[in-house]
Amino acid sequence: MARTLAMFTDTSLCIGCRACQVACKQWNELGQEVPEWTGTYQNHAHFTDKTFRLVRFIEEPKPQGQMAWLLMSDVCKHCADAGCLNACPTGAIERTAFGTVNINQDVCNGCRYCVSACPFGVVTFNHDTGTAHKCSFCNDRIHNGLGPACAKACPTESIQFGFRDDLVAKATKRVAALQAMGFKEAQLYGADSQGFLGGLNAFFLLLAKPATYNLPDNPQVPQRNVVRDSVFSLGSALLVGLGAIFAFRRRGEGKESDHA
Amino acid sequence: MSLSRRDFFKIGGATAAGVATGARGLDLAPVEAAATSLKIKEAQVFRSVCPYCAVGCGQLIYARDGKIIDIEGDPDTPHTLGRLCPKGAATIQLSNNPLRPIKPLYRAPGSDHWEEKPLEWMYEQVARRYYEAREKHFIEKERGKDGAEITVNRLEAIASLGSACADNEECYLLSKLNRTFGIVYHEHQARV
Repeated sequence: MARTLAMFTDTSLCIGCRACQVACKQWNELGQEVPEWTGTYQNHAHFTDKTFRLVRFIEEPKPQGQMAWLLMSDVCKHCADAGCLNACPTGAIERTAFGTVNINQDVCNGCRYCVSACPFGVVTFNHDTGTAHKCSFCNDRIHNGLGPACAKACPTESIQFGFRDDLVAKATKRVAALQAMGFKEAQLYGADSQGFLGGLNAFFLLLAKPATYNLPDNPQVPQRNVVRDSVFSLGSALLVGLGAIFAFRRRGEGKESDHA
Repeated sequence: MSLSRRDFFKIGGATAAGVATGARGLDLAPVEAAATSLKIKEAQVFRSVCPYCAVGCGQLIYARDGKIIDIEGDPDTPHTLGRLCPKGAATIQLSNNPLRPIKPLYRAPGSDHWEEKPLEWMYEQVARRYYEAREKHFIEKERGKDGAEITVNRLEAIASLGSACADNEECYLLSKLNRTFGIVYHEHQARV
């Protein structure tokens, strides 16, 4: 197995130019969508089947009364413990040799389990092809020795692509430097491979709490509920069964008394 | 289809042996790479410069069968290292864009719709209007502050708005042409 490839998005460097978004659309030939007014500069509002890269524009009030503009280029996280991959019944979602998660469009049957299983709302359904779509880290490019289109286009190197261990080391240094500069809340999101979802292969450096960026603090795969809920189902089935037996137990007696 | 027990064991055994040896000795990486073929692999590459602003970022244009299939930044450009801005990253839309008008359109003064006209007709119109405006509004002499008449040879009725897509030589020609006519408002799109 090749070394895991990862993408490190340093939001402190993002200028919100959206070159990544355009480069992604251009390379993957995703086509255009009608823009949606969300009240901020952000466009589009969320991931769609034609938007795999999305620069989030978050306006955060500062204590001094000013506004801070937090920019974050969001993308599929290619989780080490991926909800979509666990949920896929056909095996269309596969883990590549580079550790990325890819949807094989020829195999996908469009059941949409992955759409609801993603903790980040990344996977989306395309009604034209009838299959699920998401970022693949430009699967065709990385298998041919090129980096993803978004990382290549990024003018500030906010998006960096490379081997995961190298990038984590780089990111850790960057966080320390930012904290020394006074960004007290600078933190890494998903860099820890012992942390949630086994670590994200697209991890982020955030300048505020994850909740500020609309990211879950502790994302979980929905499959964690399967065992517990199965036990509950069995328990309730047992209870209902017992109740039914109890309710019908006296039925024969009534009949007998009628006859008597 | 009739299948004797002997045949069944033969075929089944061979399949099992194939699966057992094949899966072990086979490296799937090249197969996977072939399955994920790169669309620009067989393409011709042309080096070019982004047509939009004055920064002049280098671009690689990939073409196959006479059609542009991809445009991205040229990593060998010293000042960009292959990066592009969002506008530059969408350069392919100059060539492959179903929404882009590819025939000259003309809207007459006061009209509410555009109509298609031949390019020759357009050239003629432009030349004639240039000429007429110049004949009508050309200022040859003007009185200075002291009342003396001075030659200015000025044309204030026409403004020229250059294009960032124009290269150095085209800009030179445009400047020459405009100054010859006496045009004062000689501007460039990138500065507006």
